[in-house]
Amino acid sequence: MSLPNAYARTEADETVDVTMTVNGSEVTMSLPARVTLSDALRDHLGLTGTHVGCEHGICGMCTILVDGQASRACLLFAVQLDGAEIVTVEGLGRQDDLHPLQESFSKHHALQCGFCTPGFLMSSYDLLTHEPDVATDDLPGELSGVLCRCTGYRNIIDAVDEVANAHRAGLPGPGNCAQRTLVGRTPAGAGTSATAEDAQVAVPGHHPDEIALPSGEPTITVDVTSQLESTPEEVAGVFHDIRLLARCLPGAELTDELGDDWYRGRARIALGPVRLSFDGIAHVLEQRDDRLTLKAQGKDTGGGGAQAEIVMTATPSGTGVSLHAEARVFLTGRIASFGRSLAGDVSRRMFEDFARGMDRAAAGAEPDVGAKPPGAVAILFGALSDRARTRYRNLRQRSRDHRRRDGRRPPSRDER
Amino acid sequence: MKPAPFAYVRPGTTEDVLAELGRDGAKVLAGGQSLVPVLAMRLGRPSTLVDINAVPELNRMSRTDGHLRVGATVRQRQVQYDDAAAAVPLLRLALPWVGHREIRSRGTVCGSIAHADPSAELPAVASCLDATMVVTSAGGAREISASEFFTGAMSTAVVPEELLTEVRFPVAADGEGFGFGEIARRHGDFALAGVAVRVRTTTAGPEARISCFGISDHPVTRDVSPQLRAALDATGAEPDGSGLGRALRDHAVAIADDVVDTGGDAHASAAYRRQLVAGLVSRHVARAYLKSVRPNREGESS
Repeated sequence: MSLPNAYARTEADETVDVTMTVNGSEVTMSLPARVTLSDALRDHLGLTGTHVGCEHGICGMCTILVDGQASRACLLFAVQLDGAEIVTVEGLGRQDDLHPLQESFSKHHALQCGFCTPGFLMSSYDLLTHEPDVATDDLPGELSGVLCRCTGYRNIIDAVDEVANAHRAGLPGPGNCAQRTLVGRTPAGAGTSATAEDAQVAVPGHHPDEIALPSGEPTITVDVTSQLESTPEEVAGVFHDIRLLARCLPGAELTDELGDDWYRGRARIALGPVRLSFDGIAHVLEQRDDRLTLKAQGKDTGGGGAQAEIVMTATPSGTGVSLHAEARVFLTGRIASFGRSLAGDVSRRMFEDFARGMDRAAAGAEPDVGAKPPGAVAILFGALSDRARTRYRNLRQRSRDHRRRDGRRPPSRDER
Repeated sequence: MKPAPFAYVRPGTTEDVLAELGRDGAKVLAGGQSLVPVLAMRLGRPSTLVDINAVPELNRMSRTDGHLRVGATVRQRQVQYDDAAAAVPLLRLALPWVGHREIRSRGTVCGSIAHADPSAELPAVASCLDATMVVTSAGGAREISASEFFTGAMSTAVVPEELLTEVRFPVAADGEGFGFGEIARRHGDFALAGVAVRVRTTTAGPEARISCFGISDHPVTRDVSPQLRAALDATGAEPDGSGLGRALRDHAVAIADDVVDTGGDAHASAAYRRQLVAGLVSRHVARAYLKSVRPNREGESS
């Protein structure tokens, strides 16, 4: 554990800058000194997996890892964690690749309401990494730092015990700590650095050096090919007109040109009651007649972040153009709690709408997708019906498998 | 955020820490595991928190001159697992009882002693071993023995401008055995009663010293050598643990009557605490004695 750097006196009404690594990503926040780590994670970084119960160190709901050891996030001020490495329950596993502890909690039904689960997962992770030989009889005492009011602890102990027995040689590390950019929201009045940074970015000529994409697996990968009626020349015209291009994307709006191929914009997505509004910047890296590459990052007002790399390729196909869009999208915060498959469906549908808008724009017409999110309802229904179709396909597949298995099953007693 | 606003400073040297502590209303923040709950409940509203975690010399632990020296920001969990700390077996026996792993990963040994909660384990360990507290102010350092250090509930001989920079625990000698036990409603909760024991057996016979906690406003230390010798006279030279424990029982009841002076609370009356102390003292003095005469026998005293 490295020591934090010295920090000059900061008065009670001022904010303190702190830089720490959270789930593999370095993040800098400017906070009043009295903000606890649990509040910083939840309110500033949108990582609401860390729960808060008593907020004075008794219940263990807010247990997280600091430099690999479990600690109470409510008993630490965020400003103390300068240079520290934090892992929260969001860093432990991914929805499609759970940590063994999460698998085991699910299997043993080691939760009912789920409020204590992040605390138990992080506490038991700490226990099994530091004491892999822990005996079953010692588990109740060793896990006594977290309270549960639903399960009676039996299933939790069983879940941890099974993982302990399966991983005596070493527990797998946190599975979701690839570098992500945590673009937290800054509540009104609680630190102004994000706002200052935004203001700076809005000045033409002022933009970051580059948009650094997180390492590791993207949250969503989009790979969509659409057939356009427009000619390659017409498509090239749109590729070279970023303002027009932005209008092809439903809900998107280009608000500023910052120079040097940097742009500032806004994107709104409405899915039923869900409203997301991203403010962000985009950097066009490659702008050819048949190919456009850009990186974008934005933050949602609700406390989520998105980063993406998008590559669009136009290939002549028949009389028109085959437009291929590839995107790697990284989501953090609240929006990442959407199922990956639903988020992926929505993203794909947006690219299809985008291709249609582009076809119209290339032909010289108004893209007709506008700054409002008109496609939202259609996007959701489209996404849902895609999923319904997939599910129907899966069901049919499963029933076929069933029949096949039925054919092979041993004869029952009656048949014998 | 529940605490009231405070100014924050994280000096890089002990001198700068002491300069900050000279301000009115300044409070030291080490591990924060006792302080932050107090702030969260707004039982305390210091104007400035002086975070001492950036001072390298306060983060040291070493063994010199027959002492284990534990610096102000050394974590309890580090002491629990560090080989150097094995030289003070009583610390090793007591640390698993301090809060939970999650607390010990941040909480400091010195912080627990400086906080001086009457039901805390480490002040009793310091008292039983008569550890030396090194307290530093702008004017220099002074050493305070445990018997002078704990003055009352959450009260010590340290004045606001001073910093507890180091605690020196005497390293165990040959012929010493230790015992530690406590009763709490849940593991990690405040102890209703507890005892730390050191027995030193030499050719001159056994000496026993106990520090009880949770039963008064500060750890209460007693020399119980006469009681141990009397019990050994009753059992013969080679007692087993339970036989010696039974022989100590009547003495332990008298000791409990003497040391327990808390008025009792919702969790346990004074009479119940006396029962707990009597049981704990007889059991753990017996175990500590057996370890002092059979050092190779690794009996856990807990």
